[in-house]
Amino acid sequence: MFLKNKPMWGKRTKLKSSYDVVIIGGGLHSLATAYYLAKDYGITDIAILEKNYIGFGGAGRNTAIVRANQRTQYNVPLYKEALDLWPVLTKELDYNLMFNNCGNLNLMHSEAAMKAARMNICTAQFHGVESHLIDAKEAKELVPALNISEDITFPIHGAMFHPPGGIVRHDAVVWGLAKGAAKKGVEIHQQTEALDITTKNGKVESVKTNMGTIQTKQVMISAGGYSAALINSMLGIRLPISVLTIQAMVTQPLKPILDHVVSSGAYHCYANQTLKGEIATGAHMDPWPNYTTLNTAYYIKHQAEALSEFLPALRGLKFMRIWGGLADMTPDMAPIMDGNDQVEGFFMDCGWGYFGFKSCSAVGKYMAEFIAKNECPDILKPFNLKRYQDHKLMGETAALVNYSPDN
Amino acid sequence: MALTITCPICGKRNGYEFRYGGEEKGPRPDEAGLTPEAWCDYVHMNNCVAGVQEEWWFHKDGCGSWFKIHRDTTTNLEIEQTEATE
Ligand SMILES: Cc1cc2nc3c(=O)[nH]c(=O)nc-3n(C[C@H](O)[C@H](O)[C@H](O)COP(=O)(O)OP(=O)(O)OC[C@H]3O[C@@H](n4cnc5c(N)ncnc54)[C@H](O)[C@@H]3O)c2cc1C
Ligand SMILES: [Zn+2]
Repeated sequence: MFLKNKPMWGKRTKLKSSYDVVIIGGGLHSLATAYYLAKDYGITDIAILEKNYIGFGGAGRNTAIVRANQRTQYNVPLYKEALDLWPVLTKELDYNLMFNNCGNLNLMHSEAAMKAARMNICTAQFHGVESHLIDAKEAKELVPALNISEDITFPIHGAMFHPPGGIVRHDAVVWGLAKGAAKKGVEIHQQTEALDITTKNGKVESVKTNMGTIQTKQVMISAGGYSAALINSMLGIRLPISVLTIQAMVTQPLKPILDHVVSSGAYHCYANQTLKGEIATGAHMDPWPNYTTLNTAYYIKHQAEALSEFLPALRGLKFMRIWGGLADMTPDMAPIMDGNDQVEGFFMDCGWGYFGFKSCSAVGKYMAEFIAKNECPDILKPFNLKRYQDHKLMGETAALVNYSPDN
Repeated sequence: MALTITCPICGKRNGYEFRYGGEEKGPRPDEAGLTPEAWCDYVHMNNCVAGVQEEWWFHKDGCGSWFKIHRDTTTNLEIEQTEATE
């Protein structure tokens, strides 16, 4: 099987009995953090442990939307930096990440939603992120396929238009970062499951795996939707996370019809046309926690209904592929990045829900700084776990529908 | 995969008729001497078990009961042990 062949990022190595840094999970955040640890800090004695294969998790299942039009002053600058990094990484990694900055159009279906959009846009503009409020007619000019008639379930009042966002090829990011990190000496170990973390006097001592025990002083868990269960079972740290299956699908390919990412909170649906011509679409999350990553007939029907209302030209199209992945949702729809607090040498980067793709570039850079200097960079400080007990929740939720089954 | 939930009053029904009510966390903590940490733990923190967990459900499009079931979060299958509350 794939283990017999040489991996695309370099040669396979044997797992050693000690590393400077161990990273659990072979997704975007792990790969990006390892890449920046090696590139910016010369820390290369790193093992990334991946239970399956890199890209098995959300990294290989997401719908690849990138944008920087979040709601709070903590989140916007981080996502802006992440967005600005795609062209830089494309060059640096010498890997075509297929960044298509076609722009995002968030449809608004009520005056209240327009008002909320106005506030988001103010935040974006304050932070130097391009974002505008447009009316229904202007939206129609940008996306002629939109149905702006008043005769649909949720008539379109206008939209939040964010030109610099768009789509990046998610697999390319996985492969590019893997190659980039491996070239600098990082080891990627597939089929290697982290089983436990041992500590001594409040400090990380080792990581137990199915391939043996590794001595290390620093370990990060950034295992996407699996993080919360791992952190709880290994270290007894409970997190304010609900793990939900999120579903997505693509239609048969079409001639060019959509050159923006279009999303709608009211229809609970987003869609964009891939460079191959397929309409990639998603948004539904199972409203109960589960790790199945399975699709439901309920959702396929919902998606067909929503798309055929606001993009009626898509009526009659066939869905070609459907899939699901995990989204680890927090009550304030913002991630948890923390370290050296609960246990010295333990770092976590999780709670990324459905925004862990668009953020991975900048987060990798700052988590690397955190691990290298053992000091939390200012930009990550507000994302600590204690914020929940301090009642400093981030207030990202008003930007979108309330997904977490807990609140 | 679709989920079915067994309501103690209405029996086995489509999961979309129900609202998930969170992991079973025991009784609400006493207010006397309650610390922010203990309150936060009760309100926000979850075990996120990949396996069988005890959890609350509300039959919102049905009889309106709140009740607990056991469910395997890796298969979405209910495990028999249903226990109703009034
Ligand atoms: C359908 C869908 C659509 C999405 N759309 C978007 C989008 O448009 N934009 C966006 O920004 N985000 C989106 N996301 C979210 C994004 O994909 C995730 O937030 C992100 O991929 C999670 O971080 P990651 O890549 O670092 O982890 P993942 O790729 O989830 O990696 C976790 C890895 O950990 C491994 N693992 C688990 N347990 C262990 C263990 N014990 N030992 C070793 N390894 C282990 C798993 O095998 C897995 O490979 C979407 C997600 C899904 C599922
Ligand atoms: Zn009932």
